[in-house]
Amino acid sequence: MSKFGIGIDIGSTTAKGLLIDSDMKVCAKHIMLTGAAASQAIDKILEELESQSGLQLDDIAIISTGYGRARVENAEKSVTEITCHSRGVHSLNPEIRLLIDVGGQDSKVIRIGKKGRPEDFELNDKCSAGTGRFLEVMARVLGITIDELGPLALQSDSPSSISSTCTVFAESEVIGHIGAGAKPDDIAAGIHDSMATKIVALAKRVKVVPPVCVTGGVALNPAFRHYLSKHLGTELWIPEEPQFTGALGAAVIALNGKS
Amino acid sequence: MTEKKKEEKVYRQLESNKLLQQIMFQYMLEGHQASEENRLAWVTSGFPVEIPVAMGVGVSYPEQYGAVVGSQKVGPEVCGYAEEIGYSQELCSYARASIGSVEKPDQSPMDGLPTPQALLAGNNICGTVLRWYDAVSEQTGAPVFLFDTPPITDGQPDHHKEYVRNGLDRLVDFLGTTFNTTLTDERMHEVADLSSKALELWNKSLTACKTSPTPLNCADRFLAMAPVVSMRGTELIIDFYETLLDEVEMRVKEGLGAIRDEKIRLLWDNIPPWHSIFRFFNGLAKRGVAFPADTYTHAWSGKLKIEGEGDDLFDSVVSIYSNVYLNKGLEAKIDKMCELIDDYNLDGFVMFSVRSCKRYSLGQLVSKEIVSERTGVPGVVIEGDMVDSRVYNEAQIQTRVDALLEMFM
Repeated sequence: MSKFGIGIDIGSTTAKGLLIDSDMKVCAKHIMLTGAAASQAIDKILEELESQSGLQLDDIAIISTGYGRARVENAEKSVTEITCHSRGVHSLNPEIRLLIDVGGQDSKVIRIGKKGRPEDFELNDKCSAGTGRFLEVMARVLGITIDELGPLALQSDSPSSISSTCTVFAESEVIGHIGAGAKPDDIAAGIHDSMATKIVALAKRVKVVPPVCVTGGVALNPAFRHYLSKHLGTELWIPEEPQFTGALGAAVIALNGKS
Repeated sequence: MTEKKKEEKVYRQLESNKLLQQIMFQYMLEGHQASEENRLAWVTSGFPVEIPVAMGVGVSYPEQYGAVVGSQKVGPEVCGYAEEIGYSQELCSYARASIGSVEKPDQSPMDGLPTPQALLAGNNICGTVLRWYDAVSEQTGAPVFLFDTPPITDGQPDHHKEYVRNGLDRLVDFLGTTFNTTLTDERMHEVADLSSKALELWNKSLTACKTSPTPLNCADRFLAMAPVVSMRGTELIIDFYETLLDEVEMRVKEGLGAIRDEKIRLLWDNIPPWHSIFRFFNGLAKRGVAFPADTYTHAWSGKLKIEGEGDDLFDSVVSIYSNVYLNKGLEAKIDKMCELIDDYNLDGFVMFSVRSCKRYSLGQLVSKEIVSERTGVPGVVIEGDMVDSRVYNEAQIQTRVDALLEMFM
């Protein structure tokens, strides 16, 4: 076992890097938009990890993950985000059996075994409904920022009905609701309700076994958590920094030298 | 010494592939000759081809042509010719490739299939074939014959058998009238013998893959199945399947695998992505992943003539061609998958959800869960198309397959 491990998660929207020591303590971390050139994001992340930790990174094992995992040239190896998220969440809370990760352009549901390895999984990556992109599109239609969308939705007690099948059609529906004079908070609530329904359908395919953990940037949205918990019929456990669990899992693998 | 030792490939090419290429070329020439002599029929893969063959009718397979279009990586172009004249991108890509190549033969591989004088559709593999052949009939003027095999859910009742049997009698009449030919008992038996012999040899090669390391990988079987699909009942293919079996048995005896370092054994479900077949399977072979069995190449295994079962070949045609598992309930396919996983000692399975082939792909999500529960091995569903590479996202497929493999490490 090495003294340190680095995990780099190049996602479709954000790139994350994390450096941990052998006590699993986070020594440095960085998150940024992936942008068009993943290699620039990788360089910047390594620079940040080096300056924050004050360590020489040359001898520290790096494991890469995420859709851009193959772009991390100095990684020892690349491991899928499915395995990395499982390992990351398991290192934070070994009780978790179902993990829902909602990223910028895909969502994943992973059943985690007792040793922290994935036992089954389902991905939604063909359609942006049920992903962070869906919320971005809807916030734009409502003329607010993505950070304002969740709190606005929580003010509603009568969510509008919105199709859960397709972002493009849902966008037309939202415009229809605006035209019909529906309240923005009801529309915002309907948007989260619709997205949660879509993810719950995915989760049921791998079986909902509590306790359930939610990760990814969308886990920070309180309205999404509210509707997801309601439709799953169970409480959710959210890590302190839900965007970093993939990078954390990669760092754990780097530290242990085994996936 | 300056000469570098040539690096060994991770997969072993079959010597018998040379013979395969020769007979497939000859088969193509025979199709053209039959067309010139006004005795060519296009047939679907699940059609009782022994009957037209016994009546001297030449046959060509549009589904196999679709595989050629896919392999030559021109699926988007050739399917596009059908889309240009109004066919939906949601239609089966075998159908689009076929309709598109009839529309623009000079811009399609091999100048399209030779012109048919009849179109023989069997709906035991899917319902699309009838509409597809109707469309080709409009383009070419060739009449369509439908061999109708109602789905079987729980055994085949007598009235069902009688109905299918009447269909065979109508087929003989249709071919007799269309091609001015007759069917003799003697010739039918000859063809059935040849068909059964080829299937027996093919089955032996498939069964040999129970050995570890497997002597054949998925791409090997998908290529080697071509003659048994398209030339059942002809003398030409017996030699090939004997040669293949010799090579397979030699590999088993010497402990030679289809790939050099077999570590993980998986089951493949569905038609392969023809446009990426070598890239996909050989890419996994480099990581020690072999596919000793698949549901698709095992589908051509029903022998027409079984010793001690009487002489009425048509009854056995009724039974074999009605009981194709695509014509049975989902349970039959699930049973088949579980049986293959147990018999071939497999570690997991990959199900290819083919956008074109609804009949084969419908129910895969449910099947995955049941098969995993029954066998205790994990599986993954990947999505794409067998011919149309526009709906094949390699990065998404890679992530799913990688995650499955990480479960074994």
